[in-house]
Amino acid sequence: MELKEALEAATADLDVRPGFVGDVMAGARRRHTRKLLAITAAVALLAGVTTGVMLTRSSTEPFTAGDARLTAATTGDLADRGDVIEQALSVWNGKRPVPVTDVSSDAHVFWTANTPDGPAALIAQSVRVKASAEPQTLVGLVHGADVVDQEVVYRGAREQGIYRIGDGEATYVVLGLGERVFWSANPTRGPDLRYSRAWQEAELHGGVAVVRAKPEETPVFLRTTIVPAADDFTRVGERIAPRQEIEQAPPRTGLGWSSVMWATSRQEPGKPGQSQDKLVSEDLRRRGYMDYGHPLVLWEVRAWLPDGRYAVVTETNGELIGALYQADGTFDRVVPGGPAVRGRPVPVRLVLPDGQGTIIADRNALLGPEEREGAWLAPPGTTQVTIWRSGDQEVVPL
Amino acid sequence: MQDFEDFVALRSQALLRTAYLLCGGDRDAAEDILQDVLMSMYGKWRRIRTSPEAYARTALANAAANRWRRRSRKPEAPLELGAVPTSRGHEQQVVDADSVVRALAELPKKMRAVLVLRFFDDLSEAETARTLGCGIGTVKSQTSRGLARMRELMGEQVLTWN
Repeated sequence: MELKEALEAATADLDVRPGFVGDVMAGARRRHTRKLLAITAAVALLAGVTTGVMLTRSSTEPFTAGDARLTAATTGDLADRGDVIEQALSVWNGKRPVPVTDVSSDAHVFWTANTPDGPAALIAQSVRVKASAEPQTLVGLVHGADVVDQEVVYRGAREQGIYRIGDGEATYVVLGLGERVFWSANPTRGPDLRYSRAWQEAELHGGVAVVRAKPEETPVFLRTTIVPAADDFTRVGERIAPRQEIEQAPPRTGLGWSSVMWATSRQEPGKPGQSQDKLVSEDLRRRGYMDYGHPLVLWEVRAWLPDGRYAVVTETNGELIGALYQADGTFDRVVPGGPAVRGRPVPVRLVLPDGQGTIIADRNALLGPEEREGAWLAPPGTTQVTIWRSGDQEVVPL
Repeated sequence: MQDFEDFVALRSQALLRTAYLLCGGDRDAAEDILQDVLMSMYGKWRRIRTSPEAYARTALANAAANRWRRRSRKPEAPLELGAVPTSRGHEQQVVDADSVVRALAELPKKMRAVLVLRFFDDLSEAETARTLGCGIGTVKSQTSRGLARMRELMGEQVLTWN
């Protein structure tokens, strides 16, 4: 049995437990906030000592997070329906998320309205959590007899503020949080291979927008003060997504690789010009050759070409895409590839212009006369390549 | 930090598998160190200059090594490799998978990490050296000794590699 095969078999059934991603995000934000609080506390303590003021903890008074939504007048077209509000609070009070250790009695419906999926209510409540000495605000959406989601909003930290009701034709309830909300579905790809999106501004009523969209249309939501342009892929504003979409791993498409491979012996400098990107292909996203909604791809093949230019190949939306740069980092052009098909021998074959050869790659094989690991820049005119995989040799026509 | 969330959602499964092998088959420990590594990456996300996956792998290897140091102070149950059936059906594959993890758990931490990164994560010798912060020579020698040791531990279940 091959070692790799044995290791893969041993881990084949391993997957993260449900809720793992949410726990990581919550824990990470908590840790980050704790760090900020510790710095703030240290500064406050220093200031207190300097001025001779003793800092004391507050007493056993009922606690409040001080969020304006806890006492705001209820908005939405069901704001005057006491029965709806009472029902929503009764559902809300039956659920307390894991990080919460204590709740205040100030749960308050700050928005309730009819949506295409029926009545829904947004609720805020002061809570105590393990990670912080100060009360924080729990915000969430109630729909029918369910709490769709709850989010602990740490003081000063970012609030996601978007909820999705339903799986097919879905209703998105989005908080404006003092900014404008734009959304877009179904990106289109032009003849220049660049994606664009038609942005619509969501109407906010009482600071909340209700948007109807299909998750499979890859709707993207932005909270921003600036109107995004159709070709804006630089993430102007803040992209927001419901937690169930963040936690739901996107379907595995394309090659599923996750590494940087070099097709040439020359590998320095690692990136063209002064690029500070972690992956060179991040530049392609900024230029609109990749869309927000497509899963993040973590592989690329790099090469320094005989004429001094730099090439990178990756995939987007199931298709290979390459790009050429001058050595100083100036973008030259994009080079389209075919479909990225997993399981095909040498799945990456990108013919470069100007007689610079063909970039070929197969992550689990040794390629070409130099037996390069994973990738090789084949000279122009190469019609076949020898590959070695698991000790077996194969000649693959190009 | 949407890209961080994307990264966590997309790569957690693959990283958990690496962590599981680095921890010698301790699933709970693997999940613990992965969660810890990912949470620590959040605050540094904008400053990570390598690929995030490479960064996470390095952090996992360090975390697994530190965990091993802590655990190594306690006595551990002796490794008992089961008898090897002669047929090679699905059950045999399960036995192989189980015993390869147990054999891996017997290796010194660095040797184990080298084998996991080279043969499971498919890193090159140079990438493995960078990940573990050691020289390529160390990677070569640890690979060679590690494979030999695996063969000893796996007995008749001869492993091959290329």
